This record gives sequence, structure tokens and C-alpha cells, in this order.
Amino acid sequence: MKPKVAFFDFTGCEGCQLDALNLDAEDLIDLLNGVDIVDFREVMTERSDNYDIAFVEGSITTEGEIERIKKIREQAKIVVALGACACIGGVNCLKNHVPMEEALRIVYGKDAKYYNTIPARPADAVIKVDHYVRGCPPSTAELVKVIKALLMNKKPDIPSYPVCVECKMAGNICVYEKGQTCLGPVTRAGCNAICITSGRYCWGCRGLVDEPNIQSQKDILNKYGLTAEQVIEKFKIYDTCSEVLK
Amino acid sequence: MNESSVLVIESDPIVRESLSGWLSSTGFEVTSAEDGEKIVKVFAKSDFNIVIMDVRLHSETQLATLREMKAIRPWIKTIIIAAHPQEETVLEAKKIGVVDYIVKPVDMDDLQRIIQGSVESIYKDNVNITDDNTSFESSGDELVPGIKKSFAISREYLSLMVENLLRETEVIGVKAKQGKYIYDRIHGFYELSLDYDVTVSPPTRYMFPAKETLLKFKTGNGNHVEPVIESTPRVIIGVHPYDIKAIELLDDVFMNHNPDPNYIARRENTIIIGVDCLHPSPRSFAPSMGTNWTETGFDLLLTDIGNSYIVKIGTEKGAELLAKHTKYRLPTGDEIVRQKKVRGEALNRYKVALDTPKDRIPKILEESYDDPYWENRSATCLSCGSCIMVCPTCYCFDVKDEMALNLTEGERFRRWDGCMLVDFAKVASGENFRKDKASRFRHRMFRKGKYILERYGKVGCVGCGRCSSACLAGIASPLEAFNSLAENIRLKEAATSVIQPAKQAMDIYTPEMAEILSVRQLTEKEKVFELKLKSGKKLGHYPGQFVTVSIMGTGEAPLSISSSPLRGKNFQLAVRSMGDLTSALHSVEAGATVGIRGPFGNGFPLETLEGRDLLLIAGGIGLFPLRSLIQYVMDRRYDYGKVSLLYGCRTPAERVFTDELDFWQNSKDIDFHETVDLQSEGWTGNVGVITNLIDKVEIDPKKTMVAVVGPPIMYKFVIEKLKKRDLPDAHVFLSLERKMKCGVGKCGHCQINGIYTCQEGPVFSLTQLRSLREAVL
Repeated sequence: MKPKVAFFDFTGCEGCQLDALNLDAEDLIDLLNGVDIVDFREVMTERSDNYDIAFVEGSITTEGEIERIKKIREQAKIVVALGACACIGGVNCLKNHVPMEEALRIVYGKDAKYYNTIPARPADAVIKVDHYVRGCPPSTAELVKVIKALLMNKKPDIPSYPVCVECKMAGNICVYEKGQTCLGPVTRAGCNAICITSGRYCWGCRGLVDEPNIQSQKDILNKYGLTAEQVIEKFKIYDTCSEVLK
Repeated sequence: MNESSVLVIESDPIVRESLSGWLSSTGFEVTSAEDGEKIVKVFAKSDFNIVIMDVRLHSETQLATLREMKAIRPWIKTIIIAAHPQEETVLEAKKIGVVDYIVKPVDMDDLQRIIQGSVESIYKDNVNITDDNTSFESSGDELVPGIKKSFAISREYLSLMVENLLRETEVIGVKAKQGKYIYDRIHGFYELSLDYDVTVSPPTRYMFPAKETLLKFKTGNGNHVEPVIESTPRVIIGVHPYDIKAIELLDDVFMNHNPDPNYIARRENTIIIGVDCLHPSPRSFAPSMGTNWTETGFDLLLTDIGNSYIVKIGTEKGAELLAKHTKYRLPTGDEIVRQKKVRGEALNRYKVALDTPKDRIPKILEESYDDPYWENRSATCLSCGSCIMVCPTCYCFDVKDEMALNLTEGERFRRWDGCMLVDFAKVASGENFRKDKASRFRHRMFRKGKYILERYGKVGCVGCGRCSSACLAGIASPLEAFNSLAENIRLKEAATSVIQPAKQAMDIYTPEMAEILSVRQLTEKEKVFELKLKSGKKLGHYPGQFVTVSIMGTGEAPLSISSSPLRGKNFQLAVRSMGDLTSALHSVEAGATVGIRGPFGNGFPLETLEGRDLLLIAGGIGLFPLRSLIQYVMDRRYDYGKVSLLYGCRTPAERVFTDELDFWQNSKDIDFHETVDLQSEGWTGNVGVITNLIDKVEIDPKKTMVAVVGPPIMYKFVIEKLKKRDLPDAHVFLSLERKMKCGVGKCGHCQINGIYTCQEGPVFSLTQLRSLREAVL
């Protein structure tokens, strides 16, 4: 009996779902040999409320979304958060730094009164999440890795160590050595340090490692010339460290 | 070798000129001199590889000159010409190292033959002579030992060599990138930066890559498993001596002890062209570690002396490469002086150094185990792993399975891992044997300064300074740790072990297939599996040893053997479902195939136990490994005195092997007591902790040996109790659990201080454990 898989979107750009579809044909066939996809709004019209594994994308930003995701939790045996918004809150959380009325006014102007919003939050702030497919967007390879692990009933091999490990494995020159700053030392690896390898720096889209040394990371950013405000700005983009902001 | 130069020393002007003329005409560069007095002056200015000298009767002066020449240029080949050779003169000349002599009048054919022989032997000598391990570290006067293996090569000819190499093989070299230096594939000599300070990451990745496949497998029928050993022939050019020393350490780790086929294949396919480090990084302290020069570990070693390089030949491969791809010549006296000079200057460029001799480091560390330094200094540690990822002497790794999406085939790979990472010593049950930053920080410094040295006799830190550059928190430099801890600690010599020569590679990572013959449920969470190797061979284990069990695709986990080796070819594994592998194992049925590696570890000390009274203590599933010993002892009951067995578990429902418990209860061969921590309905036996049972047993401390297996918390209390019963530490043996991956003493996860649990353990005497601080009793 193949497990039934459904994809659901909440507040987000839906890029994670798009990326999920980015499999090559052979892999897609293999995937469909392993699972039945019963609900996936971006690619199919059929819908079903009978599913075993639910992938949820986006962060939770309305009361209605809270109810909806709770229903999904009741139905699904396994819930997987897909992408930075679902896993850690993501860029949506930027609005949490202003009052909600202000946020509505900035976005909707005079129509603000027709809308409602609550501070953005990751899926696991509302329901229990079993697995995380991290990143903005997550790599297709990682999504596949998690699906394979679920099919085999084993823990997905997602590192608990930070991006620095994979960055050094890639043989990169440290961003700090180039006089810039980076969140690699506290951000969970698994991305093969793709941003740094491509000449950028780590924004923290995969969220924190299990035991981040936030104080030390802040001190380092200070040492490399960032003011306290800039440090907070740096951490804020993906809401990587809600703790940092506290 | 027509560049060979000859010095002719002959007092007779006619012979001198005719001989010189003839030699010139055959292509030699000839210098001539009248007698020995002037020779030394000539000698200091120019270089020769052959000296032809006329020796008169009883000429002590001439022999003295010969000696002097040999001392300055040990490689020269001297041929003497004598009108009336005296036996003693000839003997003395031979002692000095004269290769041959010719009797006047000179037969030109003879001379040509001898000279030809000498020219050929010059080449051979340069290849074959092995220097004793002369060290450069002590004084400036010894900067140029072993010069006999050295040649000179111009920059143009070095370039020619590299360009020629590029035509036939992959060449990795040091090149500049964003203001730093890296090892990378090069496509022309122009890309090389041989005057670099240090590279961001070390060249060791070309022998031991960040990730590599060990096995490929297909699941389902037959469980096809095949080792994967990949290597590309390549030349690495520009390796500094400290990195060469690091590679020598890895060679020892991977080639001599449980030879690692993957490493060996790469290493044997790699040619190392080293280059002296003349512009060290400001963070390097290589001279303090004795790694700024090297006499071994390279195929060729270059020293940049301006327009040319001195090239030292390390191996025959290096000599062949030089001979095949370029032109070289003997160095001139001036060049040798320059090499000495640039090396001396380099030594002055190091900015930091150990405040204490490196031999003191192990002792310093040993006495600083509980120093507050570890806690204080590691407070800012990010556990980011940067220090270990850039370290040339770090080689620990993790092993994982990755399935293809079709879930029928996959591969087992290894990936760099290291002791500074949070989960490095964490086992499936969730226990982390090095859970705080300070203990991880300390362990790394101990590896760098003590454990590796004690295990392999080679320094575990080569002083490259990379970790210090890579550490954003600024705490990673072993130099700083060693210097900070050095104060107030007495000097004592460090013991070093002897290195064994390389052994044949073994298939250490490929599991042997075994069939599960039967599965029996023991409790809700525990099952016992009976297995047989498909090869039909006996497992050949000792009680207390373990194997690793593979389910291809899920992974591999260490499991202790629960049955006695005396009970046939089959063996039993009793398993609690806990992590990925054990839960997967719980879902397989009889008839299934799994992979087995091992047996590993030492097992219980059977010889020590023989003839003694035994007190066997098992807590919870500690009975699984202990059962192999219990069965063994029961099978050879006549070899032992009184045997007592104490068993305790949490609840009656968690009792394992209940049929055997009943059997032991009723057996006259064994004094059996059991207890449970928590009472539940229907249980009429003892309630309480296992230490209470010890009171029920009569113990003669002199005759009794104790074997204990259980959870870490139990050990503490059992040991206290045994102490009260006067049992000496040497009579108490405990089996320890640690995270294990490779089973062959390489991956590093199971280390307890300097000891590898998978090799020297898992069974330890209490005496041993008292000296292992991380064992925490």
C-alpha cells in the first residue's frame, strides 16, 4: 500500500512547491512508484482528504490558517514542514516587528479594513511537526531525501551541525576572511553551503542549529563591524533567531 | 649527464693537459689543478661530481685533501691514478670513499669505462640513499644535511616539468584566490604560487576526500554489496613540510593499522612535490612542532633559492619523474649556500612559537585535565567545526547509507565528521558522551597534543595555523592552549610508540552477508536474532565482543554478541529497538539477509577469569553482552570456581531471556539473584536496586573476578559497593557503550580520551578506567 501524500500551502510565495516539482522525469517516476500524490493544488485538480503524509508550505498568518493546519494535523499520520516559512517562520515574520494594524496599512492601504492578520509563525508554533525540509527554497534533493527516509521509516540524514562544516568541506574561503559577515556558524547545514560557494554569504534560511551559541555569534558580528541594530537586521531576514530578537 | 663536471688534479703538466683535453672532447666540463694546496679554494667556488687525482707514494697530504673534499661534497666520485700503487695507500683511499684506481700509464678505455660507471652511479646514489632522520630543528648549522640527494633545477626547467606532467596526468597545485591560497587543479605552470604562506584547506582531501562512497549495494534478493574504491593518478605540487608531516600521520593511521583500501588506493596514486615554506603564515608555529622541514614523505622537495630551485629526491618515483620530464644538474656550492641562507631567513619569519619544548605537551595536558581553562576558553565556541574541517591531521568520519529513489539500490558513504561537533559522541538512545563545549574543546586539544602522539608516535598538530585563522571565536589554536597550560607543570619526556611498516589493504568496510535463521520476541521492545554467516564460516568471536550489523539502505550499527562462541556456527544478537538500524532490524523476519562486520573489540579477559570465582552483574539489556560470557562459563563450568550472577531491570515486564533466568534460578552451577526496580502485579521476587543483590553474595576478594554490564548510572553504584567489599580494581571488568561507526579505530566517535573503545574496549578493567577521565565512573 503506497502512502498517500498531499501538499498544502499557507502564507508564502509557493516557490517551495514549485521547486518540489523540479524533479527530473526518471526521479518523478520513481517517486510516483513509491507514493500516491492525492492533493497538490499547483499541479492537479483532484483533491482528497484521505492522506497519510502532509507537506505544509508557508507560515501561519491568519486565524483561519490556524484552524486549517490543525485539521491537516488530525488527518495526517506525518506532517512535514516544507521550506523556510513553514519551518522557521521565514520572511513573513518581518512584519512581526511592526504592529499588525500598521502592517495591514502598509500592504493594503485604504483597503486594510477588509483584511485580518496575526503575527506570522512557523507551522510548529501551532501543531506538532514531524519532519522539516528546510531552506528558501529547499533543494529538491533534500525533499527527496526526506521522502525516502519516510518510506524507509528512518530518520532523514539532516545535519545537526552548522553550515561552516559543509562550507569548509567545499573548500571555500571564509566569508569573514573576505571582510563580510555570514550566519553560517549558527545555521543548520544540509545545503552544502550553496550560497557561499556561489560567492554570497549565509542568510540563515535553514534556521538555527540545535545548540547555537548566539551570544558568541553576536560578538563576532560586532567584532566584524556590525552595530547591535545591524546584527538584529541580519538575523531578522528569515526570523532565524526569534530568541536573538528577544 | 653531460653536464657532469670533472676536476683533474695532476702534478705532471703533460698528463694533466692530455687528460683534460680528452675529457673535454668527450663532453665533460673540466677544471684542472696542479696540487692539493690550491684545490680547496677551487672547490669552494665550483662544483664537481668527479675528481681524478694523481696520488704519489706515501702521500699523506694528498689523502688529507681527499678527505677534505669528501667532507665538503660527500657525493663526489673520486678516481685515483697512481704510478706505483702501494697496497696501504689504496686501502686508505678506499676507506675515504675512492671508487677506483688506475695504474699509470693511463689506458683511456679503462678510464672511460670507470668514469661512465661513476656517472651512472651518481644518478643511482641520489635515488637510493636514505638519510637517517636528521632534524633541522635544533640549530642553524645543520640546515643542509643530506645534500647528496639534491639537485638544482632552473625555474624554466621546473616549468617544463610541470607542463610535461600536465600532458599526462592531473596536477593539483597551490594557486591564489581572493587574496588567499587554495589547492586546486592547475592547467599551466603560470597558475602556481609556490611562494605562498598557507592554503585555506590542507591537501589531505586529495587522499581523504570530504565525502566518498565506500560500498554500492542492491537490496532485495541476494543483497548484492560491492566495495567502491576510486582513485585518480595525480601529482600535488607545492605541499609545505608541515602538510607533508600531516600526510605521514594519515599514512600511518590508514595504511598501517587496519589498512584502509580507499585511502591506500588514492595515496599510492599520488605523487607529492613539496616545497619549503619560506614565507610562513603569521599564525604558523611549525618550527615548534618540528614540522617546518622534512626529510621524508615527499617524492620531490623544492627549495626556492631565487632563479633556481634545489630539488631533493625523496623516492624513486620522484627521481623518475625528474629524469623523464626535465633537465636538472648538481647544485653549485653557491646554490647550496643560498639554500642554507633562505632556510635560515624563513626560520626568522615565524611570528609565534611554543613557550615550552613540544615533548612536554602530553605531560602538560595530562596535568591540566581539570583545569578551568577548558570551560573558560570554550565559552565562545560556536561548535561550528571550522577548526577540525581545516585541520590536516583531523581524519574522523561518519558513515551513512543513501538509497536511490527507487529504494532498491544505494550506497554507503563516509563523510568528514569531528569531535568538536555537538552530536559526534551521541548514541541512538540519546546519550551524548561529550555533551558540553568544554569537553569537546578539551578532547580536540588532547588529540592534537597527546592522544595521536601516544598512539602513532607522530605529532597530532603540525603547527600550520589554519584552525587559528578559521576560528571566528579566536580560540582554536592549540599553540595558545599549550602555552597557556604550560605554566607550573614539570618537565617529563613523552613516550612515543614504534611505527610498524605498511600492511596489505583489507576490505574493512565491506560487510559479510549473514542469514537471519530465527527471530524471537523477548519483550515488547527486544528481540533476539539467530544468525549464520553465508560463507558458512564461524564468526570466531570471544564473549563480550561486538559486530556491526548492516541493513543496506538503512545503515550500520554496533551490536554486542549475545551467544557463546562454544555453541556452534550460529551466533545470536539480542537487540532493543532504538535507532534507525535496530528498528529496521526488528521489522525483518527469519530468512532475511543482513551484513556483518567484525567481531570487533577485545571481549572479556578469558585468561584472567579462568580458575577464579566469578561475580557477573547485568543491568537491563546489559544481559545481552554478558550472556555470551555466562553461556561460555556454563559450557566450561569446570574451569571456574563459584559463579554468581546478579540481574536487575526496571520492571518485571522488561525481564529478558526469562526462560534462561528460570533455568539459572534452578541451576546448581550458578548462584543467581535478580531484582526489579519497580514492583508490579504478579511479581513475587526482589524489589530494589541491583546493588542490594551484592549483599546477598559471599565474596572472597582475592579469588573473585567481576564482570559488569549495564547502563552508565549503574556502574557508579556497583563500583562503590564492590569497593566496600574490598574488591581490587584489577578484578573488576566493565563493558562500556559508546557511539561507534567504523569498528576499526579510525572514525573517532568511540574515543574515550586516547583510547578507541572499538579496539581496546569495549571491556575495560576498572584499573584502566580509573586512568580514563572521560569514562566518568
